[in-house]
Amino acid sequence: MISLTGCPVLETERLTLRAPEAADFPHLAPFVMSDRARFVGGGADKDITHAWRVHAILTGHWALRGAGVFVCVRKDTGAPVGSMGPWYPEGWPEKELSWTVWDEAAEGQGFATEAMRRIRRYAYDDLGWTTAVSYIDAANARSIALAERLGCVLDGTAHGPHPDDLVYRHPSPSEVAQ
Amino acid sequence: MIPTLHTKRLTLRAPALRDFDAYATFRASDRASFVGGPNSRSEAWHQFCALLGQWPLRGYGRWIIADTETDAALGTTGLFHPEGWPECEIAWSLFAEGEGRGIAFEAATAARAYAYETLGWSSVISCVAPDNARSIALAQRLGCQFEAPFEHTEYGRLDIWRHPSAEEVTQ
Repeated sequence: MISLTGCPVLETERLTLRAPEAADFPHLAPFVMSDRARFVGGGADKDITHAWRVHAILTGHWALRGAGVFVCVRKDTGAPVGSMGPWYPEGWPEKELSWTVWDEAAEGQGFATEAMRRIRRYAYDDLGWTTAVSYIDAANARSIALAERLGCVLDGTAHGPHPDDLVYRHPSPSEVAQ
Repeated sequence: MIPTLHTKRLTLRAPALRDFDAYATFRASDRASFVGGPNSRSEAWHQFCALLGQWPLRGYGRWIIADTETDAALGTTGLFHPEGWPECEIAWSLFAEGEGRGIAFEAATAARAYAYETLGWSSVISCVAPDNARSIALAQRLGCQFEAPFEHTEYGRLDIWRHPSAEEVTQ
């Protein structure tokens, strides 16, 4: 079997964070093909071929950048709840920390906050990032609320990859360590 | 680890970041018109990610066709199997630098041998746009027979060309 190399497994109290796997597809695909994914290039007008490509893109990003999004798996049920982490495709002004919660039923329980706090430490401590942004569509109220919970502040001087993006800048490595 | 294959002149190896410029140039050109292009550099990035990402998801995938002497990227070939495909196919795309020297034939033959001898498959197809005369010619040179058309949700009509079976190739 061909596997990704050098992908760490991180842990939080309730979650295991690991690289994407083939078995994630039945959990990822319904999200990509729903309007809940409209801020991240998905939507109810997308089909399974598009969802497959998204899965392959998330996986291949690890190989090209040496880092990528983790699939966040609930320790109690084994169910993947979303994908979160480093995202740095061609054309992105800065390295981003991204998040998507695939399972609507998993929203509102603090899973994304819990995972992102751990992943941000990984980006700073293990990848050596000195700063991090999250690009959020101005209409995506849920993600803006999460950014604020993570201590991010709107950076009006930076630009995102798309015209409607807000740039939320994360607390610095030294601020997070305090 | 993605396996490496060697032919007389070529090395089929894992796609790497250093190949992206050559890939994006191909994707931006009219040469990509039969495979969903031309594409922006940003679209090409995602396609290049997906090319790599299929390896861990399926256990097989596509290689960069590199000139063994110079390591220059001349194209891609290998086992392409996204969702929505009739079955796994041997795909090939040749960059401008690789044109006209029988490189796609040499590389695709090695990819097919890998499918049959290493993976143990008994049969494999290639999907070709009906107006892609050069690829049809290559499919025929590889001994493929036209089997049937199929309609893809994004790419429209593609024709299924069936390769000689593992048994027929080894005879």
